[in-house]
Amino acid sequence: MQGGPRITRRGYVAGLAGAALLERCAHRAPRRETQVAVVRLREYSQSIYDEVRRLIATFRLEVRGKRVVLKPNLVEYDPAAPINTHPAFVHAVLEAFRGLEPAEVRIAEGPGHRRGTLDLADAAGYFATIPRFEDLFTDLNLDEVAPVSLPNPHSKLRSLYLPKTILAADLIVSLPKMKTHHWVGATLSMKNFFGLVPGGVYGWPKNILHWAGIDECIADLYTLAPKTFAIVDGIVGMEGNGPIQGTAKAAGVLVAGHDLAAVDATCCRIMAIDPEQIGYLRLASQNGAARVVQTGETPESCRTPFQLLPEHSHLRLG
Amino acid sequence: MIHASQLASMQNRDGGWGYRGGSPSVTEPTCFALLALAAAGWGTATAAGVDWLKRRQRADGGWPPRDEVDQSTWVSALPLLLPPKLKEPLNIPRAVEWVSAQSGRESGWLYRLRLLLAGFGSDPQNANPGWPWYPGTAAWVAPTALTLLALEKIQREQPSKALEERCQGGRAYLRVRRCADGGWNHGSTRALGYDGPSYPETTGLALLALHGSPIPAQSMDMARRHYREARSMEALSWLTLGLAAHGEKAPPPADAPYPPRTTLDLALAVVAAAAPERGNIFLE
Repeated sequence: MQGGPRITRRGYVAGLAGAALLERCAHRAPRRETQVAVVRLREYSQSIYDEVRRLIATFRLEVRGKRVVLKPNLVEYDPAAPINTHPAFVHAVLEAFRGLEPAEVRIAEGPGHRRGTLDLADAAGYFATIPRFEDLFTDLNLDEVAPVSLPNPHSKLRSLYLPKTILAADLIVSLPKMKTHHWVGATLSMKNFFGLVPGGVYGWPKNILHWAGIDECIADLYTLAPKTFAIVDGIVGMEGNGPIQGTAKAAGVLVAGHDLAAVDATCCRIMAIDPEQIGYLRLASQNGAARVVQTGETPESCRTPFQLLPEHSHLRLG
Repeated sequence: MIHASQLASMQNRDGGWGYRGGSPSVTEPTCFALLALAAAGWGTATAAGVDWLKRRQRADGGWPPRDEVDQSTWVSALPLLLPPKLKEPLNIPRAVEWVSAQSGRESGWLYRLRLLLAGFGSDPQNANPGWPWYPGTAAWVAPTALTLLALEKIQREQPSKALEERCQGGRAYLRVRRCADGGWNHGSTRALGYDGPSYPETTGLALLALHGSPIPAQSMDMARRHYREARSMEALSWLTLGLAAHGEKAPPPADAPYPPRTTLDLALAVVAAAAPERGNIFLE
């Protein structure tokens, strides 16, 4: 699709179907609508800058004078494998948000396994692609922190230390790679928030989240960051034994929206994964699922079945 | 050229070091900076640094990772690595007590009994108690290796049977957490039937912690390969120290070393550079 996303009748109907999917496992009736946009984009070429700018423009984000934090997914040193969020995509999002005249746009990440975040970003191509990257970047693992209470947690956590860069942000933009995940089925914009938890306090990996329940912690982190936006890098994702050892899968899409659960449910449908089978999406919907207004392409028209591990065959969308 | 003076110039007015120049002082880079300055024979700046640590030692004997955190964590092992004279002002017996009492949750009898009752059998990886990053969680390679090095130092200073037993357990933990490729990663060797690959930095650190123990040729090969392909100063430093601990001088890297990004990187590079002439401070 050229010229950015628009609401189509087909898209709206698909969106309602998607909303119904989430609503079925919700305890309360939906109270709000949320837009999720899907656009086709087949490669990380120069056109990504225009496409991302048009995509973000459809959401009419009010960030003038605000502090925006872009949160990509940086995992491993391998620049060739589709493990990390692509640097050209992150740069395109950075430029698009700069055009909206915020007070500041920072890029921030706290990888889960490797301590050398800047070295990792360098190896992943961020220094080469994003001018003055080091000045724009905050290593969330080493940032100053403050305690935050979890009033009604799904997990066993009652409080959590979080980086001050995140707590001071007016908008956190989750920029994950579209990948399968060997523990939770799919890692998308919600799971990407594991990178908000500071390794400098909890270690590498952030094992406290595993003991407290992975799905439950993903759902809890989603509630801790109320001002969010997400754009999922599904141009080339990862299938099979994700999030590190899988293989490249070109889905050729970007998926965007304010409601991370709705964005992730849409991504699952594109990946031919049943969102109802994803534990953290079920938990997130308990807080009241939004009615999804699908714009641009429909998930069905972009469906690209991602190969699943045999242990995850039950996740396959029928 | 890495020099201890760079590290000294990054010291904050309060005596500590932050992760990067100008950032607030925190426990880990302060300990590593002090260790590196001592390794390089740099006498100035250390008293203020130790005083910074002394003021932050908690009543339970441990240290928090940073002032905002109300919990002693794995960083409590790091002051124990300092030379005896330097750590004199600290309450070392209390610190040793706190560190010795920590172990990975997966090696506790309750967790192992639960696994057994759930039909998962007994996992030999859980038999040996390593050390966690954060109390109440599982043990991992990096905190186990660093705590092992720290407690060995204490053991050399004041031998005790209990400490030796913990050290033996730590070494056994590291041996069973070796990846199929011979190196070490963060501590997860296999997930859902798939072998996990090792990392350069944890391979170097584990080799260092296993000094004096026989190391399979495959592990040394993997360390050499990681050294050739390392992309960080941290990895190069740990691998230099780890290989040297097993009698092998690391060959010069193929490309120019990566710049030190953090105080930790710089401190490790100073320690690694000082080791051939002045000795490896982790093992003294």
